[in-house]
Amino acid sequence: MVIQVKNLSKTYEYHKKRPGLWASLKGLFHREKLFKEAVKEINFSVEEGELVGFLGPNGAGKTTTLKILSGILHPSSGEAKVLGHIPWKREPEYQKQFALVMGQKNQLWWDLPAMESFILNKEIYEVPDAEFTENLDELVALLDINDILDVQVRKLSLGQRMKCELAAALLHKPKVLFLDEPTIGLDVVAQKNIRDFIKSYNQKNKTTILLTSHYMEDVKELCQRVIIIEEGEIGYDGDLAKLIEKYAPYKVLKITFEGEGIKEEDVKNFGEIYKFKPNSVTLRVPREKARDVARDILSSDLPVDDILIDEVEISDVVRKIFSNGNH
Amino acid sequence: MKKYWHIITNEIQRQFTYRASIAAYAFGNIAELVALTVIWTIVYRGIDSINGYSSQEMISYVVFAWFFSFLTTTYAFERNVARDIHLGTLSNLLVKPQSYIRYVMALATGRITIAFLIVLVQGAIVFSFFRNTLIFSLDWKTIILLVLMLIATYFINLFLSVLIGFIAFWTTEINGTYYSLKVFSRFMSGTFFPISLLPVFFVKASFFLPFVYTIYIPVQLYLGKISFAEGLKGLMMEMLWLVGLYAIIKIVWKAGLKKYESVGI
Repeated sequence: MVIQVKNLSKTYEYHKKRPGLWASLKGLFHREKLFKEAVKEINFSVEEGELVGFLGPNGAGKTTTLKILSGILHPSSGEAKVLGHIPWKREPEYQKQFALVMGQKNQLWWDLPAMESFILNKEIYEVPDAEFTENLDELVALLDINDILDVQVRKLSLGQRMKCELAAALLHKPKVLFLDEPTIGLDVVAQKNIRDFIKSYNQKNKTTILLTSHYMEDVKELCQRVIIIEEGEIGYDGDLAKLIEKYAPYKVLKITFEGEGIKEEDVKNFGEIYKFKPNSVTLRVPREKARDVARDILSSDLPVDDILIDEVEISDVVRKIFSNGNH
Repeated sequence: MKKYWHIITNEIQRQFTYRASIAAYAFGNIAELVALTVIWTIVYRGIDSINGYSSQEMISYVVFAWFFSFLTTTYAFERNVARDIHLGTLSNLLVKPQSYIRYVMALATGRITIAFLIVLVQGAIVFSFFRNTLIFSLDWKTIILLVLMLIATYFINLFLSVLIGFIAFWTTEINGTYYSLKVFSRFMSGTFFPISLLPVFFVKASFFLPFVYTIYIPVQLYLGKISFAEGLKGLMMEMLWLVGLYAIIKIVWKAGLKKYESVGI
């Protein structure tokens, strides 16, 4: 067990300020205290080499959890152990074994080439010379960043910078990697590059990775297991494929028609119409009836050209979970 | 320790990318000195001595106080510390196996290095300009003591900068405090004029604060107004202040970190 979290809670204290000058003056002497429970009694554990996706809307508590696990925040109550260490004690022996990459904050020196930050990290993490060269070569090849190592970080594109951020974080070969929105703001190609890298790095080095992301693609491509967190509570923890079965009792039938196509009345009895064009229709049908309905359509006298049974989009599932409230 | 050395060299490299900014600072330094020497030259018209300072001594005082003060300034380093806290850069630094306090010490030292060299050059130019007025009467023993005192002065300034920067743990803005303390400390350290020109009460009070040992005492030593032994005592006082300030930094850092850990900022 690499990560173990038991009844972990975090409550933030903040202040309310009503609008207006008078309220500001009053605020100098008395401020209304408010509390926000960012994380409520969560429990989960992660095995070595797992790549777990943390899903949830903004403010759900994903980043708070990562910050607690990396020792930046002190929890209000509960326990957590990563690699046998209590993170918020910030013991150097623990710090040398993990890395945190935040998509919104950079650790690289902005005005210097990334290489300078790499060398500094080598010293900070006390990586021996030979190991450093080996790790660096591997990362440079995997990330394809050889040409940009000597360019000031500020002159790099966001995608290039993210690659360098990842390299900087992995030079000391951490056993655990926390990725907070690593693909945020990147274009589709850059997102895919980062994703491919994370995937192959995880497979090759058996690094335990905890990843948060807003992009469903990231999670779909990378994680077998997801933890859905919403309003500080875990709504689902398990297989991504099962998540779809559990929360999407529907399958999707995509049917294309020949010639003139059809009218809405022709198909409305087969299932719930999701999208309609005379030549192509998307139907939602109960999971267990999908095959029967497909057969019925094929054996009807509608001019069917092609028929496809598909799973509901994972983003739709998650959106549904978030909007219904899952607890 | 190698990591902190790398932080210093990285920061020096970074400073090179801001050449224009350094040159701008250098211009401001000179402007301040010109203002001070003009005032004192006018004040001394027709007067031989003020409070035991001849015109020559006073100009020497002002020039060297200026020189010492710019050699040992931290160039508003409190803002760097505050920025780390407010922007959350501190988080990135906290997850690494390094001490933040040592990290900022290294960073600040790298940060001032180039400006320090420029002040040395500026000083040389200013000294040659005032060569007929300035008093130069230094032996090696005194020079070494002066250098040690100025190193201590730099660290006192740095410790104060870090402490003021730490206020950012509790407030979203530190500029007001920074500005007030800057003016107060330059006044109380005798950067603009000898502290002995002030009423006795002020002079006595000033010896309970660290500032007087940072500029006034070193310049007095240079002018030969105090003995070597008294200079040595001044250095001892600086050392005591350094120990005290370091202890305060540790306490405030712990308290601030507690806030940071609970709020997340």
